[in-house]
Amino acid sequence: MNAMKKRVAAMLLMIFLLTMAVQSPSTAQTAKGDDVAVVVNSDTPVSDLSLSEVRKVLLGERQYWNSKLPVTLLIRAPVARERDVVLKVIYQMSEAQFKQYWVAKIFRAEASSPPKIVYSNDLQYEMVTAIPGAIAFMDARAVRPGVKVLRVDGHLPGEKGYPLR
Amino acid sequence: MHRLPLFCAAFILAAGSAWGQSPPAQDQTEQIRILLERVQQLEKRVAELEVRQPAAGAPVLTAASAPAPEPAPAKAESTEASAPRSSGHQHDVQEAQATVRQMETHYPSLQIRGFGDVNFQATDQQGATSGFNLGQLDLHLASALSRKVSYFGEITFNAQPTGYTVEVERNIIRYDYNDFFKLSFGRYHNPIGYWNTAYHHGSWLQTTISRPEMVKFGGTLIPVHFVGFLLEGNIPSGGAGLGYSAGVGNGRGSTISRPGDAGDNNDNRAWVANLYARPAKLYGLQMGVSVYRDKITLVPTVPPSPNGTNFREWISAAHIVYTKESPEFLAEFANIHHQNVLTNFVTNSQAYYVQVGYRLPWLEKSLKPYYRFEHTHMPLSEQVLTNQDLVQSILGVRYDITNYASFKGEYRNTKRLPTEPKVNGVFFQTDFTF
Repeated sequence: MNAMKKRVAAMLLMIFLLTMAVQSPSTAQTAKGDDVAVVVNSDTPVSDLSLSEVRKVLLGERQYWNSKLPVTLLIRAPVARERDVVLKVIYQMSEAQFKQYWVAKIFRAEASSPPKIVYSNDLQYEMVTAIPGAIAFMDARAVRPGVKVLRVDGHLPGEKGYPLR
Repeated sequence: MHRLPLFCAAFILAAGSAWGQSPPAQDQTEQIRILLERVQQLEKRVAELEVRQPAAGAPVLTAASAPAPEPAPAKAESTEASAPRSSGHQHDVQEAQATVRQMETHYPSLQIRGFGDVNFQATDQQGATSGFNLGQLDLHLASALSRKVSYFGEITFNAQPTGYTVEVERNIIRYDYNDFFKLSFGRYHNPIGYWNTAYHHGSWLQTTISRPEMVKFGGTLIPVHFVGFLLEGNIPSGGAGLGYSAGVGNGRGSTISRPGDAGDNNDNRAWVANLYARPAKLYGLQMGVSVYRDKITLVPTVPPSPNGTNFREWISAAHIVYTKESPEFLAEFANIHHQNVLTNFVTNSQAYYVQVGYRLPWLEKSLKPYYRFEHTHMPLSEQVLTNQDLVQSILGVRYDITNYASFKGEYRNTKRLPTEPKVNGVFFQTDFTF
């Protein structure tokens, strides 16, 4: 009788664990779904940047990919998740600090315009494909052919260790 | 007997299933937000399609009602249906291209921003009056003239007892070759130290009400403005984040607090060099050193004399700042060296300040208390500048009422010459950008 109970208990435990394994979303899927891809115009001469290099670009400290190709920054409008990730991970600023940063940056004559605001991933895609030197941040699931997805710290979106999520 | 294990199995299965389907609350919120975004996009798309429906619907109906063999209407419908979709897609593409064209930078692209402030002060200094005063009304202009050429200007309107004066504070045309080499000409804020080129005339940008004494406008300790040309850029240095600015210009004018806007008052050009580091691994930190060299010609007015006395001026400065606000830390030091060319008599004056602030986590991070200590020491034998000895403590709080306006309140304790009493004062300011 005891052996029977043990078998039933073991079976129940197995069923429970299997159910968990099947029904909980896999880590890899969640990670890819949450990742924000760094995309650039396909003619941009970079394919791999460290997170601090991405930060330098977004802070307007690196304004040229090379002597002939200026950087054009694109950023989603407030409330978009891509913007939240960029502000939290890269800028490490609140919305108010971000706005103040760019007012100050232009006031110091260090940049002549702030990042361009885009209202959808579709428009973002159109702009990245149309403007040489454009860089944008979009949901990894919304990336379409025609743009270059950059490795950040050696990782592509969906890979373990990818920092923008 | 067998019902209990079955019931348990069903319960555990259900519990496991429920657990598996319940992601953390934060994920749910994000998913909801993503879904809402998608819903909005789809709604917009549906609305666009509905607008196009009447035009697209007619040919489909015609094709469907046309007398033809059984398979034909389906084919016709398919063909006709695909035609409006194609034209709709084309319309979408054209629309997107038009939007992209609108969002591309056009030249010249002038942007104007303004800064202003209103102040109140009351001190226990004998003979001083309390009251309100208007700070500077500051207009900043920035315009990209091409992909590599930009213009920057700053104009202030200053309240005076008899009216307003207008001052061109900065007037710069800059050519960017790349990130490492940017050449500009015009009138600048002198790149000595940090504050002078970080906050300019925008009170709203700085944490405190006033600038430190060593870089105050109209002050003489450090030449605040510079007329000439400037080279600036990054230095390839990996994670060290090195940058530089170096320039040649007119230096101090006949009025010691002003640069030689209309021409130098001697044949000697001043030069300035500033080297700084923004280490990648210490985001928010900046350290730098600056040097400034000039020859000053002081022409006595009483009694009038055609020949002035010449002095060599050598300013060396260093700064370290951490600007992430929680905490904020700013510290600058400068040594001002003057040498009489004729007698070789030398004097050295020093000035420094240390400022700390902290953006509190409550009330949507709108409160930022701060403290600043300033000290200026000038020997009595100083030959070029009037005495500006100072020991000052400032304790205050900044409250950001919106993203673009703030209130500040300060208590200041100031002592100048050893023979003068300490002065206590309260100062209030509301400043903004528009």
